[in-house]
Order: sequence, then C-alpha cells, then structure tokens
Amino acid sequence: MGNEELKEIAGHLRFEAVRMIYQGKDGHPGPALGIADIVTTLYFDEMNIDPENPKWEDRDRFILSKGHACPIYYAALSERGYFGKKVKEYKLRALGSKFQGHPVMNKTEGVDMTSGSLGNGLSIACGMAIAGKYNKKDYNVFVIVGDGEIQEGIIWEGANTAASKKLDNLILFVDKNNWQSGGAVSDTIGSNNVKEKFEAFNWHVQEIDGHNIDEIKKAIALAKSKKGMPSAIICNTIKGKGLDFMENNNLWHKGVPTDDQYAIAVKVLGGAK
Amino acid sequence: MTKFHGTREAFAAAITDMAKTDRKIMFISPDSLKAMRATDFAEEFPEAYIEVGIAEQNAVAVAAGLASCGQIPFVGTYAGFMTMRACEQMRTFVAYPKLNVKFIGINAGLNGGEREGVTHQFYEDLGILSSIPNFTIFTPADGAQTYHAVKRAAEIDGPVYIRAGSGREIDIYNKEDPFNPDGVTVLKDYGTDTLILASGFILNKVLEAADLLYKENIKVTVGDVNILNGENNTKILNLMAMTNKIVTVEDHNINGGLGSFISKLACENRPVNVKRIGLNSFGESGPANDLIDYYGFSPENIAKTVIENLKL
Repeated sequence: MGNEELKEIAGHLRFEAVRMIYQGKDGHPGPALGIADIVTTLYFDEMNIDPENPKWEDRDRFILSKGHACPIYYAALSERGYFGKKVKEYKLRALGSKFQGHPVMNKTEGVDMTSGSLGNGLSIACGMAIAGKYNKKDYNVFVIVGDGEIQEGIIWEGANTAASKKLDNLILFVDKNNWQSGGAVSDTIGSNNVKEKFEAFNWHVQEIDGHNIDEIKKAIALAKSKKGMPSAIICNTIKGKGLDFMENNNLWHKGVPTDDQYAIAVKVLGGAK
Repeated sequence: MTKFHGTREAFAAAITDMAKTDRKIMFISPDSLKAMRATDFAEEFPEAYIEVGIAEQNAVAVAAGLASCGQIPFVGTYAGFMTMRACEQMRTFVAYPKLNVKFIGINAGLNGGEREGVTHQFYEDLGILSSIPNFTIFTPADGAQTYHAVKRAAEIDGPVYIRAGSGREIDIYNKEDPFNPDGVTVLKDYGTDTLILASGFILNKVLEAADLLYKENIKVTVGDVNILNGENNTKILNLMAMTNKIVTVEDHNINGGLGSFISKLACENRPVNVKRIGLNSFGESGPANDLIDYYGFSPENIAKTVIENLKL
C-alpha cells in the first residue's frame, strides 16, 4: 500500500484509539498514538494475514508486548475486518467487552497472544518463531515493546534465546519514546542506550524514525533479508504523536480527553468515517 | 517403554517414547537437561530440545509461544524455579489462555530436595498452583506413576503440572499400572478406623505406618491421591464417607496442598475430622531419611498421629 494511504489510515486509527478511550473513560492514549505508524504499516502493508481466518497457521504473528497501547491495536483489527463490520462502540475496558484493558487472545479475534504484563512478549515470540522454523513455515513474528518495558529482566532472557536460536523470522520494534509510566527512561535507569544493548546481544539492529512509514517499510525489508540473526528496529517515536496537546507529555501515559480535547482530536485527526 | 528408575528418568523416558510418534512433543530446558535426565532425548530429538539457558521465566514464555502454534512443550526444572520465579508466566501466559504447556517440577518436597537445602527444596508449589484456574495437577507417588502421568498430561488439552522429586523415589506401583483417572487408589484396606490419604513420594512411609497400626489392632485404609483439586472427586468422597477419622500426609506445606484439598471436600460434602500431617516450616539440608524423620514423616510418627487423633 502507498505511503500516503498508510499515513491516512494511521491518522484514522489514532482517532479511533482516542475515541474508544474517550467513550470508555479509561486507557492509555499516549502509548497508543506513539505506535500508530508501526501498527498501521504492519497490519495494512506488511503482514501476511487473513482476517476471515484469524487462526490460519501460516499467518504472520504479532504481539503487542506493551499491551497497554492496545486501543490502536483494536482499531487496526477493526479496520482490517477482524470483527466483520467496523466497531461502532468499543466499550473499552467495560464488563463483558472483547476489548479488555490489555489484549486477550481468547476474547478478541486476531489477537495472537495475551499481553500487557511487561517484558513477556519477546520470549513468547521466540516460541512462535522456533515453532515456525521447527515446522518449516515461512511466517514472521513481529513484536512491539517499549523502551521502558525493556527494563524487565525477561526481555534479556528472550534476547539471548532469539540470538542463540538464530531467529531471523523474529522482528522486534522498540518504541523508543524515552518515557515510561513514572517519568523519563534515562532519569529512571541512567541511560537509554537501546541500540548498544541489542547489538551486545548479537542482534541485527536498525534505528529509524518510528513515524516515517517509508523508513518503517524499508527497515522491515532489511530485517527480513538479514539471515541468521533476529532483528531489532529501534523506532524513535513521540509519545502521543498526532495530537499537539498529548505529544511528549507523559501525563498522557494514561488519561481521558475532556470534551474540548476530544473535539480537537475530531478536528485534527479527521473524526469518524 | 524406555527403561527408567525414579521420577526424573521416568519423565525423560515418557517424553522420549511419545516423541517417537509425535513431533509436537518438545522439551524446553532452562539449563535443566541433565537434572531432568533428558540427555538421551536431546540426542535422539535435537530439534525438539529447546535450550533457553538459566532463565525460567523465558522458558515458560517460550513454551507459551510454542503451544500457541500447536506444539506440546514440556518445561521441566526445579519445582520452585517454575512455580515461584516463573509463576506469573505460568498464570498469565499459560493458564489464562489455557495453552497446552506441561510442567514437571522436580525437587518437590523435602524428600525431593533433601541435601540441597531450602533454596532447592520446594514445598509450596501445590499451594501456589491451587489458586490459579485451569491447572490440572498430578502428584504421582513414584517413577512408574510419573511415567504414566507424563503420558496422560500430553493427552489433556491444557496446562498440566506434574510434581516430581529427586529421582531416588521408592517404587510402589508396578511399571504397567496406569495413572488412575479417579484421583485416588486404595493401596491398603485393613479397615475404617482411619482413612489415611497421602500424595507423592511419602507414600512408602504411610504404607509402613499402616502396617505398624495394624499390629496395634488399628485398622486403616490408605489411599494415594494422585490428582489434586480434580474435577470429579466421587471416588475420594466415597472413601471419605466410610470413616469418621481422616489423616492426610503430604511432603508439602500444610497449607495449600492435599490437606487443604481434603479438608475442603470434607467441609463441603460430609464434615468429618481431618488431621493434616505436612510441613509447618522451612526444611534444611540432610540425608533424605533423616530429614523425613525429623520433620515428622516417619512411619512411627504417622502411626502415633493416627492414634492420638482417634482419641479426640
């Protein structure tokens, strides 16, 4: 799909994410908006999937390890047709809703893995990638983690496994927005040198603008061509990207837009379609 | 049937026998290949042996990913390194999505960990898993039962935990005896003065206690409970209905395991006196038999407890 078209879809998914948080009165808009361009590129350009057959065994897999960013994921799945008609009212985080506070594989069509407890997605993706190789399937496994999330120890356990098993069918996006729930990443752990860390674990590492669709596409293509090692694509992103009042403002890690702020989102992001 | 002795070799023998005809069977090792006695499995099925290094959380999460793609991964290592260090992965990424991952926890109990000391003895595993939905929990009493428990686990669609030990367990069952789906097997049937229910590798001590009691003219029935928190407990309840005195014996903390399970069954079905023998404290290093005696699992102490309980 063309870059301009993908940009337009990303903008619309951003609106849908904000809409579901506004209507549901709870959620994490900043993280959702920050990964909109990566999720859009994956679901509308890159991934080999069949929304009518969500458990197709040859499909590419996706894990949103930073599960709190799920509004953008739910919007992408809806727009891609996983729920039949596009969802009018998500009822995000409501009792009985398929749109849980964090993704749940047995409740939501298209969700390949339950996620949200930070750090676990990479190791689970290793399992999926190992299964792919073991069964001689040529699917890829994509994961999005946050730059705060990778403080979890299990990330580096998984990083070892991915490298030692030469999982070149695994592509990890690090959403590097330099923030985590409690503040700035570098204030929290003294540095945010993601690239050096993954290189030290013997991964193929690229660093790109996580909002530039063209760069995302090219990075995926290069990652897929790199044989014998897993790939990390470090995406420099802006938390809350797309809405001025949210951008780089960590108060929007979690929060609900006011009526006025929602009106701005409608205006800036184009509103419902 | 591949030859084995004890629970660890039984595990390795069972997955080796299954892997001969089922490519889905895999072994995920957090550097536990030797501990699980699975080196022969790894040699015969190198692709089905996934070594992830000393990283239990990773092992369980990798297994969850494999299971989501249709494999039947067995994660085997020390009981506590799974149920404690990787507890969250077992709960959130295996039990919650009901993924088809099997767990074998070795060094379970004092007898299982013996000389290693508290860091490598695990008497809380069953209590931890008892509070997590969707787990099937097997507590085989010896190597032969472990072999069949592992095979049975592979037939079940969903998470299964199997409690295993040091590998030096006393044989009680015949090699061919199946893993009883009823959840209880009567091994001594002297009478109904007391029903002694045991689980795991302490069973030999309980059988000796029953013989000691018989000499004192106290006639007990001994049942081996091999499934904890099972869905259908009719057979256990039928046994429990035949007596007014029950004593449970388990190499586990007194809370959360067999004693809790049987007490619950009694309270909810037919209130009856239940005396629990188990651990109230941490253990320590020592030769298995010395430890077992010191912490109250000797046949003499079990017999004494039964007699005292009859006087209540």
